[in-house]
Amino acid sequence: MASENMESLVNRRYEHGFVTDIETETFPPGLDEGVVRAISARKNEPKFMLEWRLQAYRQWLEMREPTWAHVHYPQIKFNEISYFAAPKSDDDRPKSLDEVDPKLLETYEKLGIPLHERARLAGVAVDAVFDSVSVATTFKEKLYEAGVIFCPFSEAVREHPELIKKYLGSVVPRRDNFYAALNSAVFSDGSFVYIPKGVRCPMELSTYFRINAANTGQFERTLIIADEGSHVSYLEGCTAPMRDENQLHAAVVELVALEDAEIKYSTVQNWYPGDENGVGGIYNFVTKRGDCRGANSKISWTQVETGSAITWKYPSCILRGANSVGEFYSVAVVNNMQQADTGTKMIHIGPNTRSTIVSKGISAGKAQNVYRGLVRIMPQAHGARNHTQCDSLLIGSECGAHTFPYMEIKNPSAKVEHEATTSKISADQLFYCRQRGLSEEDAVNMIVNGFCKEVFKELPMEFAVEAQALLNVSLEGAVG
Amino acid sequence: MKQQLLSIAGVRDAVLQLPDDALTPMREAALAHLDEHGLPTVRNEDWKYTDLGPAIDISNRWLAAGARLDVGGDMDAAIAAITATIDANWLVIANGRIDDSRTTSINGLEFSRFSERPTPFDMNRPLANLNAALLRDGLRIQLSAATEKPLGLLIIDSADEEDGVSQASIEIDVAPGCDAEIIEYQASVGDGNHYANSIVTLHIGRSASTNYVRIQKRARSHVQTGRISATLDADSKLRMASYDMGGGLIRNDVDIDMSEPGADVIFSGLYIAGDGQHIDNHTKVDHRVGPTTSSQEYRGILNGNCRCVWNGKAIVHKGANGTDASQANHNLLLSDKAEIDTKPELEIYADDVKCSHGTTVGQLDAAALFYLRTRGLDKRRATEILTHAFAVDIVDRAPVAAARDAIATMVESRLADLVQDVAL
Repeated sequence: MASENMESLVNRRYEHGFVTDIETETFPPGLDEGVVRAISARKNEPKFMLEWRLQAYRQWLEMREPTWAHVHYPQIKFNEISYFAAPKSDDDRPKSLDEVDPKLLETYEKLGIPLHERARLAGVAVDAVFDSVSVATTFKEKLYEAGVIFCPFSEAVREHPELIKKYLGSVVPRRDNFYAALNSAVFSDGSFVYIPKGVRCPMELSTYFRINAANTGQFERTLIIADEGSHVSYLEGCTAPMRDENQLHAAVVELVALEDAEIKYSTVQNWYPGDENGVGGIYNFVTKRGDCRGANSKISWTQVETGSAITWKYPSCILRGANSVGEFYSVAVVNNMQQADTGTKMIHIGPNTRSTIVSKGISAGKAQNVYRGLVRIMPQAHGARNHTQCDSLLIGSECGAHTFPYMEIKNPSAKVEHEATTSKISADQLFYCRQRGLSEEDAVNMIVNGFCKEVFKELPMEFAVEAQALLNVSLEGAVG
Repeated sequence: MKQQLLSIAGVRDAVLQLPDDALTPMREAALAHLDEHGLPTVRNEDWKYTDLGPAIDISNRWLAAGARLDVGGDMDAAIAAITATIDANWLVIANGRIDDSRTTSINGLEFSRFSERPTPFDMNRPLANLNAALLRDGLRIQLSAATEKPLGLLIIDSADEEDGVSQASIEIDVAPGCDAEIIEYQASVGDGNHYANSIVTLHIGRSASTNYVRIQKRARSHVQTGRISATLDADSKLRMASYDMGGGLIRNDVDIDMSEPGADVIFSGLYIAGDGQHIDNHTKVDHRVGPTTSSQEYRGILNGNCRCVWNGKAIVHKGANGTDASQANHNLLLSDKAEIDTKPELEIYADDVKCSHGTTVGQLDAAALFYLRTRGLDKRRATEILTHAFAVDIVDRAPVAAARDAIATMVESRLADLVQDVAL
């Protein structure tokens, strides 16, 4: 059935696979206490931060790499990774956007990030993280007027140490898991957001991550605190150049929602997935967790995962506050040799807590897609509700779709429902669309978009468009 | 908390006590396997929710006391009562010993012992090593024609002051085209501590069909680990239902392997757990080729301080196109001390498949309860009626007609007992 058109699409390459040739300062590969101290020193960090990192490093040494995920990859050699790469030396850090290396801006331009003028038009404040360092934060002043703090993590460590001390590691403790411990020891930057009491953040906040330098790992750390009654929507996007070797990305994201606060966290992840033979690509081992600490708070995760050779992430919600709400909407697309083991955890602790999980997995080529989720209702979570729906779509006979949902219920008043289906795009569906005049690829795109609609509608507008386009690119060549 | 380890030296002594016969090499191989791999622990994903600690404690005490098979009292009365309730050709394995008086072959039903013709034993199944090491003898059953009465397998154990441990291993071969009906009944006598470990291996020939019922009515002081491994040939059918009504710590494993097209399995289960009970049902269905179909539904009713586990796994192997697999698990929690851990898993490596699973956990519908109370029923009776309504679907699915009435009676009385502590 493959038309010529389809074939050309099959052969289309990863669009963001360019390398930007700019001066970077990279630490030699390897990890020991000296590297941790050097990272901390380069960042001019206060002593408490260095201590925190060193403790994390010592804890990491005692931990073992997890092997339970349904993914297969050669063992990672942690001593061959460089743990710090910065586009510029810290002394001549850009003071404003005008001072940012034009080549860097060009990179973001290529990526289509609304960093400069386009940012103003789009009304999106962007913190761009290039390799491990935050390069620019737009709209800082405007946000400052509203009382919102949105800055690179390293700046927050220096300027808001009281907030960092109070919240860092309070959702994802240092020794939470192997990769979280590693991140805690060597994270080099990331974004920090604080929304004060009663403030509705005037614009959507956004971070773009890009791994550029070779042989580096990216370890960024995001901390978002929504104080009482506040509201924030945060977007995260990721790309990387094409390289033959695998690169490690081990980020930690911590969200804290206090009473009546709401955090909406959206991710479009498009790291380099490796080529069709599974060579290269990013290992995306990320710990994301939100803590609904206050009553009536809400945390909503939306993710569109199309990239990475291996994805291993479970954005979770700890529903501690009474009546708090957790949501997880996910589209995970894998093609060729990609492997994804992703899902969520909803831990119901407070009374009348509610959670919704909608997961859509699409597998094509020889890829493996796993939904792994946990819903735990603690004994004191009276009246807790959960509804989980996870659907898988298979395109091609060599891919796999797997579901491992865990439900642990310790309260009789809880209502927990789980449903899942697995199917393929049927010949009937395709035929119907074709006879309405749609080309085969349009038909597949339409069916897939329909399959994912429930998730896309949760994304902010600009992202929804991007996500749909990404999905179409990811699946090209999958049918035929 | 570190899990108690099984005393391998104790097992070695116990193996030496068994008669030196054709099974000795198997026992020694199993002992070596046990020494190397041990028993599954909660670190093992499949045993995450079930700690075999109590089974190990009982075993160690039993081994230390000399590993006698004939602990406990007289079981004759209990055996007579059970075999009179359900009309079947009953075989009895009491405290791990096969009752010779009942294994006379009749037309369509032939018996032999493992010791007469030892065959390789798959040690990789969890607890198979323990089973093989301490097995006195296994029973092989060949079903070649439909019999008038179903085949009954009674696995019964007794323990009083002394702890007891027993192994049962049964291989059943259903000949091509044959229709078989089998009832497995696991029961206890006495209130001492006992650990019973059983393995049933079932092979269903081409175009054959098997209806299988499992009834578990053990004492609270008993631990049971029971496994059924079924292999289905082309166009064969398996209909199965299991009923867990007693036991302290119960772990049931059902493994179904479909490696030829046309195989079809429908099975269901009911577990009713009260104070102090832990009932774990693990099922695994391998669809190795297509078209094959499997459908399972388990229901649980939990009251008091208890924990139940259900883990259903369906694996659709590469190329098994035309597979249809469905899983359902529904649970009623009646107490705030009850816990259910449920996990429906699908692993799919083929695309032309229809797979689904559904799970629910909830409580009794307040409106339905209220309705019954307006009709003058007290809360306990209303709860009993509603839980019975929830259970009865699975009771009606008992594929062996001869056992259905007995199961219905057992479920009714178990539920009446279960709701005793519902406050009026």
